[in-house]
Amino acid sequence: MSLSLKMKMKMKMSTGMQKWLVLFRKEWLEIVRSYRILWLPIAFAVLGASQPITSFFMPDILASAGNLPEGTVISIPAPTPPEALAGALSQFGAIGLLLVALSSMGAVSGERTSGTSAMILVKPVPFASFITAKWAALVLLASLSLAAGYGAAWYYTETLFGSVSWRDALPAVLLFALWMSFVGTLTLLFSALLRSAAAAAAAALATAAALSLSASSLPFEQSWNPGRLSALAAGRLVASAASPAGGQTAGDVWLTVAVTAIAMLAALFASARAVRRRPADA
Amino acid sequence: MALLTVDRLTKRFEGALAVDEVGFSVGEGRCAALLGPNGAGKTTTIRMLTGLLAPTAGTIALEGMKPGQDRREWIGYLPQHPAFYGWMSGHEFLVCAARLCGLSKKEAAERSGELLERVGLGAAGKRRIAGYSGGMKQRLGLAQALIHRPKLLILDEPVSALDPIGRREVMTLLGELKSETTVLFSTHVLPDAEELCDDILVMAAGRLAAGGSLAGIRERNRQPVLSLETEGDARSRAWLAAWLKRLPDGFETASATSTGARLVVRDLEAARRTVLRELADENVRVTKLEVGYTTLEDLFLKAVGSA
Ligand SMILES: Nc1ncnc2c1ncn2[C@@H]1O[C@H](COP(=O)(O)OP(=O)(O)OP(=O)(O)O)[C@@H](O)[C@H]1O
Ligand SMILES: [Mg+2]
Repeated sequence: MSLSLKMKMKMKMSTGMQKWLVLFRKEWLEIVRSYRILWLPIAFAVLGASQPITSFFMPDILASAGNLPEGTVISIPAPTPPEALAGALSQFGAIGLLLVALSSMGAVSGERTSGTSAMILVKPVPFASFITAKWAALVLLASLSLAAGYGAAWYYTETLFGSVSWRDALPAVLLFALWMSFVGTLTLLFSALLRSAAAAAAAALATAAALSLSASSLPFEQSWNPGRLSALAAGRLVASAASPAGGQTAGDVWLTVAVTAIAMLAALFASARAVRRRPADA
Repeated sequence: MALLTVDRLTKRFEGALAVDEVGFSVGEGRCAALLGPNGAGKTTTIRMLTGLLAPTAGTIALEGMKPGQDRREWIGYLPQHPAFYGWMSGHEFLVCAARLCGLSKKEAAERSGELLERVGLGAAGKRRIAGYSGGMKQRLGLAQALIHRPKLLILDEPVSALDPIGRREVMTLLGELKSETTVLFSTHVLPDAEELCDDILVMAAGRLAAGGSLAGIRERNRQPVLSLETEGDARSRAWLAAWLKRLPDGFETASATSTGARLVVRDLEAARRTVLRELADENVRVTKLEVGYTTLEDLFLKAVGSA
């Protein structure tokens, strides 16, 4: 009796897992066949490479601009290698996030409007699986793109400015990846809540910008604020290069990471709920 | 035994009542047609049955479900306008649907191939769905609804998007399916319902206007009918129009054109006498006077018209 119950539960678990994997494979196949698997990493790589390259050639560019008064001495201090890498991160934080939001803004609302969500969700699949499979594919794509972009930035920084220790570079990019996943999760949430894909992207980016701004400009301590993540990531590179002891304490960072993770979980929960309530557009 | 029981199902969209306290049941192994004109609430009712739309009120029960079991496990659904991922092939979509219903890899592949053949898509299965015609999508939609051998097959206007040949093929297929499982399908074409169904449910303006077994409804609503045709000359037309306005007691118009009418009558003998006298007195150029009984078409028009 208890054995057969155990077997049943095991079977239920494994079919649940099977359904999740099928949904994930479907999402991934779409990413591959729509060429998002190519253009997003390429866009990030271009973004990442252009940052160290332009700052390397900036003095020449300014000099050749030619509209400076005679005798002007151009002295732009060359960025240190970590600064160049942090510059790339700030590019990812603006245009990169925009690209991530644009590439996933119709994740749920688009399927509702086209009617495909109805075809999937009349099958006995958990609503949470529908959402988490989308989320996993989205985070995987964003991470691959970030890796491509950061790799390109790192390569050109090494060749043009000098080396950066992976001890600084790796935690920085991990923190940044978390921030990007957070913004992707927000996009998914808003695409499950709102009918318009453009509104979903706008709402996600606005939320991210508001968190970021409040973290950087409000005068009180906000260890909980996920908007701090991009600054923390840059701080790993720049602050540690300037003063090894400076920057945030480790406890602070973990608190931000934990709060972000919990917020992402809550967003996924809310998205699944929104899909359960309205699986399809009428 | 009733497989599906629906009780006082209601859906209200921002103020408008799309489905209004609809209640019916569909017996195990039966084939039921949900009939009604455009906007009657058929699709809304069906979407509530499939779980895609939350009812405002009312209950939906499937006999034999364990408590907490997911209703979707037993239901196969073909939407009115099935939508697919254009970047998938027909075969890939079916395999995906099968795996989502819990079939193993091997079963899923076998069943997908088998169903593609059955709905007449054998050759197109490997092509991307983006290149399918509307009729092909309808067939693929039917195949995906059947993929997990559902106990209850719910089809929303399965043939209305098909050409006459495709329509015939799918009707034949539905005829086979109804001996395999319980079927509920919506249509606004009465002959389709008469051809396939054991039971009919007529909806009009969100309400259930009539329902029951086809034979029972025919029997219960069997009333004598007089049908009258004239040559259509001006005089006869004028008379017909005027006479329909002052119909004697015991007559009721079932349907009328400018040249003729079908009249439901209470007492056939008396009615026949009245009409013959009227025709003779008024010198109407009658071409046909027929006595018969009401058809389902009459009932349908009446149910729909009075709602
Ligand atoms: N999402 C919605 N919001 C508002 N009203 C709706 C919505 N969906 C349906 N309705 C209304 O509900 C009524 C019933 O619509 P439904 O689609 O169920 O009709 P139907 O019987 O399927 O018609 P058809 O034969 O044209 O498919 C219509 O008056 C329609 O305008
Ligand atoms: Mg409809």
